[in-house]
This record gives sequence, C-alpha cells and structure tokens, in this order.
Amino acid sequence: MKVTFIQPDGKEQDVDVNPGTTLMEAALFEGVPGILGMCGGICSCATCHCHVEADDFGRLPAAAAGEIEVLDGLEQRRPNSRLACQITMDDALEGIRLHVATGA
Amino acid sequence: MNSPVEFDPYDYATQDDPFPGYKALRDHAPVYRSRKHGFWLLSRYDDVLAAVRDAKTFSSRIITLEPLTDEELPPLVITSDPPDHGRLRHLIAPMLTPAAVAPLGEDIRQLTRRLLAPLLPSGRMDAIVDFAQRLPMAMMCRLLGVPMEDEDDLRRWTDMAVDRKDGVFTTTEENNLANQSIYRYFETQYQQRLADPAPRDDLLGRLMAAEKEGRISHEEFLGFGYMLALAGSETTRKLLGNMIYYLWKFKDQWKLLQQDPSLLGSAIEETVRYNGPTHMMGRLVTTDITLHGQTLKRGDKVGVLLMSGNRDERKYTNPDVYDIRRNPRDHLGFGGGLHACVGAALARLEVKIAIQELLHAIDDYHVIESACTRTHSPQVRGFANLPIEFTLRT
Ligand code: HEM
Ligand code: FES
Repeated sequence: MKVTFIQPDGKEQDVDVNPGTTLMEAALFEGVPGILGMCGGICSCATCHCHVEADDFGRLPAAAAGEIEVLDGLEQRRPNSRLACQITMDDALEGIRLHVATGA
Repeated sequence: MNSPVEFDPYDYATQDDPFPGYKALRDHAPVYRSRKHGFWLLSRYDDVLAAVRDAKTFSSRIITLEPLTDEELPPLVITSDPPDHGRLRHLIAPMLTPAAVAPLGEDIRQLTRRLLAPLLPSGRMDAIVDFAQRLPMAMMCRLLGVPMEDEDDLRRWTDMAVDRKDGVFTTTEENNLANQSIYRYFETQYQQRLADPAPRDDLLGRLMAAEKEGRISHEEFLGFGYMLALAGSETTRKLLGNMIYYLWKFKDQWKLLQQDPSLLGSAIEETVRYNGPTHMMGRLVTTDITLHGQTLKRGDKVGVLLMSGNRDERKYTNPDVYDIRRNPRDHLGFGGGLHACVGAALARLEVKIAIQELLHAIDDYHVIESACTRTHSPQVRGFANLPIEFTLRT
C-alpha cells in the first residue's frame, strides 16, 4: 500500500507501507526527511507531526486523548494535525497524503 | 587508516571517563575504526542520529559489538529489524506511552515513600543500593505481573547478564548463566499462569494472550520477559544515581531546583543528555556506505556513541555544562528512530517522582565520593554504590 509525504517545499515522496506498520515507521524506513521519530512512537516527542490533507483527514480513526494532548502543545497545531506514529496503516488509508510539519 | 586517536570502549579506564576520548573522536576521527577490535565508532550528533534513524542501512541485528558466542538469544524487540520489529514493539508500546504510564504515578510515589521512610532518620544512605535500584525493578515486577519478592533475584541476574570484565571483548560464562536464569524464570512464570487460567491484565498476561493468538512465538514471549527485566531496571537506576550525583556536584543546580521545582522535567532531560546511562549501541551495516570519506562495508559492526553525540559542540552550546534549564528535547540518551527507548516515559516518571520525594525530604546532601563505585560495561555506565549523607528539611 502507498501513502504520500509532502515536504514544506512541495516535494512529494510516495512510500510503501505494509498494513500494521505506522506511518512514522514507514517514513523512517524510507528516509522521509523531517520525520525524525525521536521517541520511536511512544507518543511523546511530536517529531512525526504531520498535517493530513483535508480530504483524507476524515478517513483516519480519531486520535486518542494522549495524542491530542501532545498535539495541543504544538505551535503548528492545526485542525488536521496528527502524529504519524499514531496512525497504523490499513486498507482504508490507501493513498493518504500528509504534509510534513517542520519544527514539531 | 592511520588514526592518531585510540579509543577502546572495553577498557575500564575509558569507561571511567570516556568524554575526553569522545571529543577526540568527534574532532579527529568522526568515523573511527578500532584496529584492535575491527568495529567502527560514530561520535558526532548528526551521524549518530542519522544512523539510528536509518534502520535499513544500520540493522539492529547486533546491538553489542562482541564476537557472537554459540549461545543463541531468543528474538528480542531490540535486536529485530522491520517488519518483525514493528510486530513485536506494537505489542508493548501502547502500554508505555506517557498517557498509559501516568496512572502508575500513585504507586510509584507510595513505593518511593516506603523505601525512603526507614532511610531518612539516619541521615545517610547508599543512594543506589538502598534506593535507586529498588524502585525501578519493583515497578517492573508490578508491570510484568510477577511477585515483588522476586525483585532481588531478577536484579542479581540482570546485573550479571550485563557485567563485562576489564578489557575482555567477549561475553562470559557468567553472562550466559545469568541469561539462562532469566529465561528459566519467565518459563516458570508462564507455566504457573497456564495452570491458573484467571485472566491477568498485566504485561505478561497480554504477551501470553498474543502468543496464544499466534502473534508471537514462545521464544519471543520469553525474549520480552528477558528484555523488559533487563532494560526496565538497570538504566533507570543509573539515571537516578547520576542525577543525584550531578545535583550534588553542581550544587547550584540543586539549589535552583529547590527554588523552582517546575524545572524538574527539564533537569531530567539535561541529565540524560549530559551523562545518561546508555553510552553506546551496536549496529550492523547492511550495505556499503561512505561517511566522511570512509567506507563502511556490508557486515561491518558499528558502535553509535549516543553520549558523545549529546556532548557534540556542533549541536549544543557549552555541551559540557550541566544546566538544568536547558531542556534538551532532542538528545540521544534514549536513542531515536524505530528502536528509541520504548520505556522512556516510564523512566521519566519514576525519576521525576523519586527526585520530587527527595526534594521534599532532604535539604542538603553530600556524596561520599571516595566510596563511590561504578558498574562496568562499554554500553551502560553508572554507579554501583553512591553513599550520601544528608540533612532533612525542617
Ligand atoms: C533512564 C532509563 C533508560 C534509558 C537511558 C534507556 C535507554 C534506551 C536506549 C538508548 C534504547 C535504544 C536502543 C537502540 O537504539 O538500539 C532503548 C531501547 C529500549 N528500552 Fe530503554 N532505557 C531506559 C529505560 C527503559 C525502561 C524503564 C524500559 C522498560 C519499560 C525500557 C525498555 C526498552 C526496550 C524494550 C527497548 C528496545 C526498543 C526497541 O528495540 O524497539 N527502557 N532504551
Ligand atoms: S515519533 Fe514521537 S510522537 Fe511520534
């Protein structure tokens, strides 16, 4: 399955993701710049912060309270903010597009 | 290569103070090959971060640099690569997020108070033996769901499993025996639970359920017990010990923390940056890669020097200054990338509460430096004994 990460300069990178893998893990394994994954996905560092493309945002399962708490502390917090490490790939997410948010 | 720098992480003298050696590596040999042992060392922040983030090139199949012995360890989360790594890690990660561990706070505080109460009247304690080493293993027993009385056995075995002798570059018989004891222990726990089918909502219970559903093998179940017992206690103990040590050594920082306890979170991050327990992790190169003009070949071993990266002057201003206001959120003390410490939120919470309780009880303290001793390992550094004398708050 495929997802697309978009850099602040507009450059796009398609990444293969196996079901069950998180989008942060896939981004790291394929070397997507800007997704640092400092905490390895324990929902504490926000270095996997993305803005999900508006049309795709509704396809995601809702964020858990712990994720929302982290997001609420971010300068670049937007309604479509998500932590890529808290999104697990499944069939419903094929082709989803995410903008890498710089500086957490 | 004719490198002017010599650095041997297996040498006790190096372990006693590795920081000057780290600096020499960063400045003169950022991609260093040990002529003695054959492995490479990466020491600059950017290189270490790039390596831990790039699991494709830098595999975790080996995390120690010693020649492999005959003894096969069962598959561990820390020594697996994707996709196995994610399959294993996802089983425990949701139970270890900050939100998931927060409810343990009350237990941690009770336990901390129980440990401190008998120690306080005498005005002295061994901050490691009497305090720092008890708390994390007791909490790990709680989380795993094994009897608290087993804490001492588990600690003895896990200590033996990671101990390395001066200059010795292999694992020893003692290490292997300790490993076997830990596996046997979790096998016994497993069998006892099979005999008593009451469902248990603890880590071992969930891992057993995962095994039953075919998501992990029995060896992987045992590997989790081993991994958590090992990783969940000795590192946290050492962080707590280091923090007690540096807040004494840099007494103005203790005073600062007394005046403004809200700096505690930042102070913990700064301690993990300045001298966190985990100094080095190993990686295996999977494809030839050239870095700063040196070519690392497929199959080569690499040590990533996390604590050297944390002292890199290319990254941090005045890196050798311990400043509890710094609040470094991007240090490498818990690693980074796919294998970044899954227990970091728990470790932070334990250390936070432990220091809060010390701040609450103690006014001033003194480390008896001549009586301090260290554990020995090229990868995880810290005190084995840390005797202190203190005065209570009135
Ligand atoms: C101050 C305390 C701690 C420090 C400094 C620390 C440090 C680290 C580091 C540097 C790594 C990365 C290893 C690598 O990249 O190869 C790691 C991984 C790990 N830590 Fe910790 N750790 C601490 C506490 C804990 C605790 C309390 C637990 C258990 C709940 C734990 C469980 C683990 C596990 C299971 C891994 C492997 C994760 C993986 O491979 O995905 N650690 N730790
Ligand atoms: S990787 Fe740390 S919050 Fe996502």
